[in-house]
Parts: sequence; structure tokens; C-alpha cells
Amino acid sequence: MGKAETESLIGKRIPKMDAPDKASGKTRYIDDVNVPGQLIGRILRSSRVHARIKSIDTAAARALPGVHAVLTAADVPDQRAIGVSKDNLPFKGDVVRSLRDEIAAVAAETEEVAAAALKLIRVEYEDLPLLTDPLEALKPGATLIHPEREPVALKHPEALRPWYDPDNCQTGNIAMSFDYTQGDVARGEAESDAVVEDSFRLHYVTHCCMGVSGVIADFQSNGNLLLYSNTQVPFLHRREFAEVLGIDPGRIRIIQPPIGGGFGSKLDIYPFEPIAVFLARAARRPVKLIFTREEEFIASPTRQPVLIRLRSGVKKDGTLTFRSVTTLHDNGAYTSWGATTPFVMMQTFSSLYRVPHCDYHTVAVYTNNPYAGSFRGYGNLQATFAVEQHMDRLAEAIGMAPLALRLANAQNPGEVTPQGMHFKTCGLKECLSTVAERSGFEAKFRANRDNQRMPGTLKRGIGMASMLHVGGGAKIYPSDGCGTILKLDDFAHVTLITGASEIGQGSETVLSQLVCEELGLPMSSITVVNNDTDITPWDVGVHASRTTFIAGNSAIGAAKKAREKIFAAAAKKFDLPAEAFALRGGLLVRADTGETLIDLAKFLRSMHFSEKAELVMTSFYYEPPSHHQDKEFKGDVSAAYAWATQACEIELDTTSGMVKLLKVTGAHDVGRVLNRLGIEGQIEGGIVMGQGYALTEDLMVKDGRIRNPGFRDYKLVTAPEIPEMDISFIETMDGEGPQGAKGVGEAPAICMAAAVANAIANATGVRITELPFTPENVYRALAAARAQAGQRAA
Amino acid sequence: MPLDQEIEFTLNGGPRRVAVNPEMSALTMLRETLGLTGTKYGCGEGECGACTVLLDGRPVNACLLFAVDCDGRELVTIEGLASDPVAGRVQQAFVEYGAVQCGFCTPGFVMQAKTLVERHLGADRNAIARGIEGNLCRCTGYRKIIDAIASVASAK
Amino acid sequence: MPQSKAGRVAFEPLLLGLRRIPELHGVARDGDSLRIGALVTMTELMESALVRAHCPILVEAADQFASDQVRNVATIGGNVCNASPAGDTLVPLLALDAEVELVAKPNGLLTGRRVPIGEFFKGPGKTLRARHEIVAALRVPIGVPGRFMRFFKLGSRPALDISAISIGVCARRDAGVLSEVRVAFGAVAPVPLRGRATEAALEGRQLTEAVIETAAAAARDEVHPIDDFRASAWYRREMVHNMLKKVLADAT
Repeated sequence: MGKAETESLIGKRIPKMDAPDKASGKTRYIDDVNVPGQLIGRILRSSRVHARIKSIDTAAARALPGVHAVLTAADVPDQRAIGVSKDNLPFKGDVVRSLRDEIAAVAAETEEVAAAALKLIRVEYEDLPLLTDPLEALKPGATLIHPEREPVALKHPEALRPWYDPDNCQTGNIAMSFDYTQGDVARGEAESDAVVEDSFRLHYVTHCCMGVSGVIADFQSNGNLLLYSNTQVPFLHRREFAEVLGIDPGRIRIIQPPIGGGFGSKLDIYPFEPIAVFLARAARRPVKLIFTREEEFIASPTRQPVLIRLRSGVKKDGTLTFRSVTTLHDNGAYTSWGATTPFVMMQTFSSLYRVPHCDYHTVAVYTNNPYAGSFRGYGNLQATFAVEQHMDRLAEAIGMAPLALRLANAQNPGEVTPQGMHFKTCGLKECLSTVAERSGFEAKFRANRDNQRMPGTLKRGIGMASMLHVGGGAKIYPSDGCGTILKLDDFAHVTLITGASEIGQGSETVLSQLVCEELGLPMSSITVVNNDTDITPWDVGVHASRTTFIAGNSAIGAAKKAREKIFAAAAKKFDLPAEAFALRGGLLVRADTGETLIDLAKFLRSMHFSEKAELVMTSFYYEPPSHHQDKEFKGDVSAAYAWATQACEIELDTTSGMVKLLKVTGAHDVGRVLNRLGIEGQIEGGIVMGQGYALTEDLMVKDGRIRNPGFRDYKLVTAPEIPEMDISFIETMDGEGPQGAKGVGEAPAICMAAAVANAIANATGVRITELPFTPENVYRALAAARAQAGQRAA
Repeated sequence: MPLDQEIEFTLNGGPRRVAVNPEMSALTMLRETLGLTGTKYGCGEGECGACTVLLDGRPVNACLLFAVDCDGRELVTIEGLASDPVAGRVQQAFVEYGAVQCGFCTPGFVMQAKTLVERHLGADRNAIARGIEGNLCRCTGYRKIIDAIASVASAK
Repeated sequence: MPQSKAGRVAFEPLLLGLRRIPELHGVARDGDSLRIGALVTMTELMESALVRAHCPILVEAADQFASDQVRNVATIGGNVCNASPAGDTLVPLLALDAEVELVAKPNGLLTGRRVPIGEFFKGPGKTLRARHEIVAALRVPIGVPGRFMRFFKLGSRPALDISAISIGVCARRDAGVLSEVRVAFGAVAPVPLRGRATEAALEGRQLTEAVIETAAAAARDEVHPIDDFRASAWYRREMVHNMLKKVLADAT
């Protein structure tokens, strides 16, 4: 018998378990799945942005050979509205409110027939006034996008002054509103030595998952519905589907084939999904509906575009005094998760730094534009863009270094913020000092600033930004639970059945690692089953950077139960107390001496055959008890919080406005590194996604139409553009986290745009408050600043 | 649409006769007619590289290639690399270096990477990055993909 | 293919494969010009010793053309026939004084004609090519050795980008004096544009800072770009000015 392998798996570079199949093309994504007898579904979308539908003629489409079903709103009288505010009917029958609107759908034998049938459907429209500017939508007399809805009552209309004049505005297009107050902003302002105020404008970007959206709806002979879906929230989705279809949720089974990217885009139910089900029901055949890339650009959610007005104050000694924020969200035509991003934004406003007085008022306004869903970072990229630019502005106003101002106001471990967030672990100060040191921040910042007025058209800049985000699940729903079933076979092979969803982020691997660590087994002895609601235990989905934390704790819980069972049996067999044992390298050993007692496989076999051991463990993890948020948004939203600082170094060509991202130095408080390879992948990918948000990506929406629905003109960052990356991990060992870890999935994208903005200001002396920093936008801003300086000089 | 064009070509090392229609792309032929789903549809306009295949030894986007244009030529897909030693090392490196996340773009990257390695670029990261500029990845941020390719290219 | 997918080009029932016509392939020296077959791909341009020796500006353009996968199939003839104002090889071909070789076989008899490339483009996607004609080759005069040639494409990526503007310059350079100057611009007009005023500002002159500024200003004045979602007309003019200065600074 070999020597017990004692090395821990934690912190190692563990390759993803699903990677070999993915690298060899064997993995079958939804578009690769074909169900016998399936038809191809396609959707006819509106060609108008805002119009009344006068008539829809589907006769010719129905008559086309190979067409099995043609549906419009009239054919589905039982359809129900979906979405966060239930304002979105899958089929639009009377009015179309955005270009993506679903008017009809067909199911046909082939893709070609389905496409031909769509072309045969005649729709007559009567145009309605276009509302594509949320400010216009607030004006009296503006057309109501959803006249059927009760207007939202504003609690503090006065606070919305910059955009909303209570005496001369209407609320009819307001989709959602949030108000938050802590302390007394007026008092804070009175105590300030410097006050700055700016408006920030954030643009549309979209997820661009490499795998396009799709769904397969397949009714079983007993009337149960089997859905192959890309959803990130299978269990919540099942309930929603049941509601929409008016059937018992128990009769719906959701299988998630491997997903070609999520990033939050699959957190809500979107019209194409119920439409595929309606088609399958009508045609009595399975229906597969896959988007084209163009459709993916036009008809999938975006990141929330927003206008932010931020007013902040500071004392001469660098103490922040207040922050007053209003934001205006373009809600688009229907309400998805984008409207609720203020919930996350307010955490950054109130609690990224210590601010005694803070208020935040916001409205989301219906327009005829695309609508926003959730997207990695969930409003926090936008909030951080504003707050972190203001940290630099405030520092400048009182003649303090940006790093010093941040350190002076950074949160500490143990603090409970005025909003009620409790930071049991907090590595913000370590993040700040690590990044400053590793990037040589202070010397470069001064040198670049001194170089602003020197000759030369290539300017260097460095800028930093920090962030706070949920890292221990998020209490969005009444529960934040996740279940695990663990079974141990008689040859020491473990099957982990988890509620968590793998969407490429590596949850299978990290959960396996946690289980193997508890059971002293190698990674080769575990299989993961996930992504099937008929098999896996309940979970609220993959979002809010929660999976490692919540599902990880759940998996550890089950593994611990298995260990207890093994040790109890061992206690009987070896006549030692249960505490005397340990599991290492596939062996049962004495904890104190390491002496091998028995091969675990052999011992498990004996447990199976003679002990009636029931080696199936179940466990659930629910978020630890805490002070839940009240109606004023005071309270805790997560069991743990993640922190990070990133510094971006750029080179800016003043003759073209081109900004080249040279280097990103990041420090992340991740609690503890579990899988070094996986966490690096998350952070590097997030940095480059943030780079795209800052510099290259721009979903151009004009008059409600998307002008660049393809990768040719929607510019994702490509390989030659990526920066050098220097990433440090700050391990604060969170007491609640699995092995001390916190969630990290969203964090790396959040700081980037703010840090780049600060770097541009450092390079040029010009502060740009609108994204994206494309060459023309930057060039224009520099030219405007030159013109202004010229005017001042003259 | 009638399948009225018979074409003959070498697919993954073996002869193949297929009836296709003239408008069909090689991507549709591979995925739908031949059931080879390892080649992915990502954009349909040659901008993402998820459908990269080898045509007479050179990487091309299958979505921009007419199926009929494969006639008389040699086509290799990700499925055809199962016993290719260079591709095997590339795939192993992608796994070990963490170059795979959601994995949707990965087969296209592997096809492209194999030809880059065979072009003896060495470990020049800039040349490798230029070599994969036609492959989009939304998950990894590319660094680990470049690491993986560089490790194989420099081991040659 | 991308054009047909986007529905901009309607399919006709006949699809003609040109791949097997040998005369459309290959680069060869023909007297004092290079004959570049219409089906020569971007990759083949970059690999051709003749092209590298005599028109490196085409190699520069091919290197910045889309991606490796596209360069392996995209042909110079296709790029010319597509007649995009931003077509990457069109600007260098203009600066090289290339000719388009067209052939037809109207009555079983092969006929041909040559058109100066400057006359070939009639508008976005429109050329002089008649319905029954195909572009067989591009002919590029082989000039004196050691000429200054530069292609510049302004885009945020090294390649895989539609240029906001592009610039091509070819000129003889004797003791710092430029002659036989050809300047062409892409994406600044409905067709790729020769910069006659710019050329005149440079012809026979020493490249001093003042001359460069005069030429750049002339360029800014003679282009007539439009606003579209890729760039505004104002920005394109500014870039023609600023980037031409950059290119000419390399020629000093």
C-alpha cells in the first residue's frame, strides 16, 4: 500500500473537467442537439419600432408545404406576460413597441422552409410616435408606451430634478423607481471643503455569448414538457414557464446542454422561449428555435444604459462628506432585470468607501429602445465608472494623491456601513496598496501628469479604480439556497449531483475539488451531474457570483456528512474514536500519525455490503442568517463581499484619439484561491470584457434600430489588443466561505472603464465622462477641450 | 431547395460524395448534412472563427465557403484531428493552460492553433496573437489561449 | 457570400465556379508589369516574391486584411469587384496605377480589355464591369526600384476591421525630393479616391515640415467623406490630415 498523498488540492491549478471534450469538438451545445421529429422554429419580428398592428395575414405562410404551424397572438389567447414586471407578452398582437418585437412564428420541416414562410407573412402597421429618448418620454403629452400599466408613484419627485421637473413632467412612462437615503446630504455638503458634480453617460453593450440563444421544446407523450434550454436559472425558469403555460411546474423538465456563454444574459425568460413551446404545442412536434447572430444582437438583452448625475464632497483632510446621486435608466420597451440594477448600484454609492451621508434616487423610463437584462457586474460597472472618477476629481480638488484619498476612506474588516452591509472580511486596503506598489502607480501618475503639456503626440496615462461586489451569494430571492446529492460507490468513486449550473465558469471543477479535498480523493475519482431539473436538487441559479460560495458550501456539507459516516464505521471497525481518522490519498489513515489503516475503496465496499451504510448524502446550504434588507434597502445583501483594485496603463495617440491599453495591474480579495487556473481565467476574461466596455464595444441604437448587429462593427476585443496583466490575489479567508473563498465571477469587469477614464485624464488632463472611449469619441473630447482652452486664453 | 449538386471531396482523410444545394455553405453541409457538429456557427459572416476548418491545409471560415466549392478539395474538421499529433498536443495544452471556458469557440481556435504551430512561429506571442485575430472568445481574455499555443509552438 | 447572406445581393439561379480557370491564378511578370490573377488570395499576395519585391504596399494591405482565415480565401479580384470605398487593396492599387484586365466570351470568342483602376469604380459596389465580363487580373506597372510605398489603415485593431480611413502613398524619392507621387484614400468618398491636389502639393518638392502640412491640408480639403456609424465626416477629414502627416514623416 502506497504512502498517503497528503497534498491539498486547494489553490492548485486544476484543469477544467469538461475541457477535453470541448477542445475536441465532442461537446454538444444546444445547436448541436437534435430531437427526432423536430421542426425548426423561426420568429417574425417587427420591422417598425413603434406601431399599431392593423392586420397580420398568415394565409400564404400556412399554405406553404413543409409548414406545420404558424402562430400569432390571435392563435394563443392563453398567453401571459413575462418578465420582471410582467409587461411583455410573447406575441405582440396590437402594438409593437420595439424593433425586436415578436409578431408571428412558424414551425417548419427545414430552416429554408421556415425562412420562406416568414417572408410570406404580411403585416400592416400604423406608425405611432417614436420615443427613443427617456427625457422625451417624461415630458407631458409623450405617448405612453404601456398605457395599460398603472403609473409608478414617485416618492421623491423633487430629487429627480435634473431630468424630471415635477411641475412639468408625467409619470406615465416610468417603469420603476428606487429611493435610498442615509444620513443628511445637506449636512454633509455644509461640512465639505470641496464639492464636485458631473454627469456620466453609459452606453449600450451586449453579452455576445459565442453560442447564440436557442431552445428546444419537446412535449412528451404524457403531456409533460421537456425543454432543452440555455437558462442560467433552471428551477426559477421552470416555475415561470409553468405560469406562462398554465401548467403544473412538476410537469416541466429543463435540461441545460452545455452553454456557449452566459454572463447574465440568460437570467430572465424571453419571448422566444414560450414561443417555441407554443409552436411545439400547436404542431404536436418538437420545435428547435436557434437565433441567427444578427437576431442575437437585435433580440437579446443589453447592459443597462444610464445617465448618472453625481455630486460628491470632501473635507480638506481627505474625509468624504457626502454623495448625492440620481440616475436615469432607459428601460426600453419592456422590463427585464436591467431596471433593477439600481439595487446593486446603490451599494457602490453608499458603501465602496465610507460616506456618512448619501442619497440616491432613480427612475427607469419606458422608451421604444432595446431593453436591458442582467449582465456581469449588474449596474456596478456604471456606478463604479462615476464614483471612481469622482475619487480622482475630489483628490485633485484638495490637492491629495488619488491613492491617499482612497486609502483614507477605504472600508475596513468588521465595518457595518450606514446601508447595513457587514464586511466580515475586507481586503480593500491591501488591494489598493498591492496595486499601487506593483504598478509603480504614484511615480507614473506624477510623471504622466507632468508630461501632459510636453511636446509629443503619444501620451502615457495610469488610472486606478476599486470595486465592491457581492461575494457570498445575493439575497435577491427569499432564499439563496443550493442543494447537493453525493453518492459514494463501492470503489471509492464519487458522484456529485449539484443544483449549480456550469456555464463555462468552471463550477463543476471547483465543486469537485472541494468534495475531493474533504474526502482525500484525487480529482479523477469524481463525476459531476448537473443541469437537469428532474435529477438535480433545487438551486436559484448561476448569477451574482454565487456558485462557488453557495454551491461550494452545499457540496462541502454533503462531503462532510460522508466523512462522518465513514469515520463512524471506522470507529467501530478499528476501535478508535471517530476523531482519530483522516482521509488522504484515497486511504483511511490515522489523523495523528498518518498511518494507513485501509484503502478507502475497500472500506467503502465493506460499508456497502455489510453496514447498510446508505452512502448517499444530501445537503442544502442556505445563506447564513443576517440582517436582511428592509424596504429602505437597509441591511445586508450577501454573506460576504468581494473587493478589488485595478490600475490601467494606457498609451493615447492625440492625433487619432486611439487609446491602447498596455497593462492592467489588479489585486482581488477573493477570500481564498481554490482553483488558481480557474480564478485566473475568470479575472483575465473579466478584464478583457471590461476593456471592451471601455474602449471598443458600442451597440449603436438610433431611432430604435441597432445599426451594427454583427461582429464586423460591434467590436469585441481581439487577441492582439489584450493588455499585459499582473494579477495578485488577496486572501482574507472568509469565515463563511467554502475553504475561505468568496465569489469572484463579476468583479474583474467592474473597475476597468473607470480606471481607463482616470488614465485618460492622467495622460491628457481631459476628463471624459461618456463611454465608450473609441478613437473618434476621445479625439472629439480632446478637440473640444483644446477649443475651450483656446477660448479661455482669448 | 433541391439538393441538385453532387460533389466529391476528401473529408477528414476519406473520400466523400454529398448532394448539396448551390447556396449551401460548407458549414451547413458539415453540421446538417453530415452531422459533424464540432464546427460551430458563431456569426455566419467570417468574423468569429468558430467554424474554422482546413481547406487544402489552410484554415478558412466554413460559413464563407460554398459547399460546392469543396468539390475536388481536401477538408479537415475538428473531428478529423482525433489522431493528429500536433492537434493532440494543442488540445492537451488548451486543457492544461486553462484556455477553455464555455468552450464554444475552442474547436475553431484548435484548428487555427494547429496551423500556427505548423508554421513554426515559435513562441512569439505577438505573432500568435495576430494568428488568432480572426477567432473571437468572450470568456478567457485570450491570454491563456496564447499561453497554450506558445507552449506547443516553443516545444517543437 | 456575406453580401448574399445579408440579402444585399440577390442570387441568380446560376452560380459559376471560376476556381478551375488557370489564367485567373498566379502572379507573373509580363514585360514591365506584374500580372496578378484575379483569384490570387491575400495570403498568396503576401507570400509572392514578385509582389514583395515590386509592390510591398500590397503586402502591407493584405497583412491588414480581415483575418488569417479570410486572407486564405479572399481574392484580389473579389476585393476589386466588391468595390467597397473601404476595400483594403483598392487604395494601394490606385497608388500603383494598376489596370483592371476584363475578359468576356460573348460569342464563343474570348475578348478582353484593360481599364485604368481609377476609372473602374463607379460607386459603392458599382464598377465598369459589364454583366458578361469577369475580372481576370490586375496589372501593376513595375516602377523604378526603391520607391517609397506605404499603406496606412486607421482602425482600432491590427486587422479584422473596416477602416475608418486608409491612405496609400507611392513615390520616387531622389535626394529627399518626391516625384511621380501617387496618393490614394479609402473610405472618404463613394469610391476609393486619388488625391490629385495632395499629389501636386508634393510633386518635385523636398519633404519639409511645411510641405507636409500643405499636403495634409490639401488632402483634408479634397476628400469628401460621409457621416456613417463607423465615423463622422469631420473625424475622417481630420484623420486624413493627421495620418497623411504620419505617413509622409516616414518618407523623410
